[in-house]
Amino acid sequence: MKKTQYILFVLCMTLCFSCTVDESCRTNQSVLIDMGMYHINQTDTSRTVAAMSIDSITVRGLKYDATSKKYLYMDSVLYNNLKTITKIDLPLHSFDSVSAFEVTFNSKKITANKLTNKNDTILYLNKRDTLIVKHQNTDKYLSLQCGSIKVHSVDTVLTTNNFIDSIRITNRNVNNINVENIKIYK
Amino acid sequence: MVHSVQAQKAKAKIVPDSIKAPLFNGFTVQGDLISAISSLTSNGDTYSYEGSLQADFKHKYLPVFEFGYAGADKLTSDNIGFKTNALFGRLGLDFNLISQKKDKKPTNNLFLVGFRLGMSNFNYNITNVSITDDYWGGSQAVPYNNISTTKVWYEIVAGVRVEVIKDIFMGWTVRTKSLISKDADGNVTPWYIPGFGTNNGSGNTAINYTIGYKFQLPFKRKSSVKIKKPNAEIKALTKIGNNNQQTK
Repeated sequence: MKKTQYILFVLCMTLCFSCTVDESCRTNQSVLIDMGMYHINQTDTSRTVAAMSIDSITVRGLKYDATSKKYLYMDSVLYNNLKTITKIDLPLHSFDSVSAFEVTFNSKKITANKLTNKNDTILYLNKRDTLIVKHQNTDKYLSLQCGSIKVHSVDTVLTTNNFIDSIRITNRNVNNINVENIKIYK
Repeated sequence: MVHSVQAQKAKAKIVPDSIKAPLFNGFTVQGDLISAISSLTSNGDTYSYEGSLQADFKHKYLPVFEFGYAGADKLTSDNIGFKTNALFGRLGLDFNLISQKKDKKPTNNLFLVGFRLGMSNFNYNITNVSITDDYWGGSQAVPYNNISTTKVWYEIVAGVRVEVIKDIFMGWTVRTKSLISKDADGNVTPWYIPGFGTNNGSGNTAINYTIGYKFQLPFKRKSSVKIKKPNAEIKALTKIGNNNQQTK
């Protein structure tokens, strides 16, 4: 019994001192607002909504310059002519309650033509819309390894209507869990 | 004659085969070696010193009060610091699974299974936490200073105690710990809980190797001598039996 005790003690001590703690952060730290693209197909009898694939998209952040009272482009481009896009994930401002984006669409829309009984293809080339998201920012502590992040609660979304028909907020909470927050309809 | 044999067998069945232990068998003061040694070798990241006081009732029920002082002074690779230190306590009950058999040599060794309810009230600081906005720019320091909390947890334990020298016991205890008071998502959770260990949001396991001294009460010492009496009586009876045979 004493020998077994001794072996167990040595084993336990070896286990205790041989383990190293993994200090890497395993939690998703990116907080992005998720916007899905949808196409409304309306006929006399029905109205269907389906996910829409945009041929190419370019998104840039816009920051408000108080001196010139104008929105200026951010240096880096968020989406640079990216092909076949069904959704865009954009970062909201961590220390400001307004985030603005310029979205350039290149797409086509196919609709049924009753007169010709054929499908019409409408091309949208370089259609630019400005999206303005008003939101509240809150600190969220993750862990000692990951630190803290800013999460957001969306208040309102404003848009121009060059390409975009309408917008719907589906989930106001923007955090590190990837869920769709906004539906963009064409 | 047949009736008397049956009566003897019936009497033999009633006699229990285990020794009836006294109600109170003293108490043991124990200190944990593993926590003390690991505290010295962890470069101050975490430290814990703990001991316990365990009573022995009927050599079967062993209520225990464990107490200690633990803390952490941790700095991550990103320079985020965590600091705490506090007292902690655990209250519980162990059951000894070794039963004393009459036909075997009496043993003071214990094979224990039991449970604990632990609690610690402590303050902690998390320093050098900052939020940086990589796209829009800007950075903000987020101080988490002097946060006060009380954590409660339960433990399932198993272990052995062996009497290495008279009244000196050594042995190990393995324990699984589960937090009762859990933090909600987004709460500033402590990285280390005194008495519980590192807090990963769920359970924890630990091992103790203890050395302890059992304080036996004076009347218990007398009663332990009495255990040897049956052997002396048997010897005396066998002597009488032998003498009777010789006289026949």
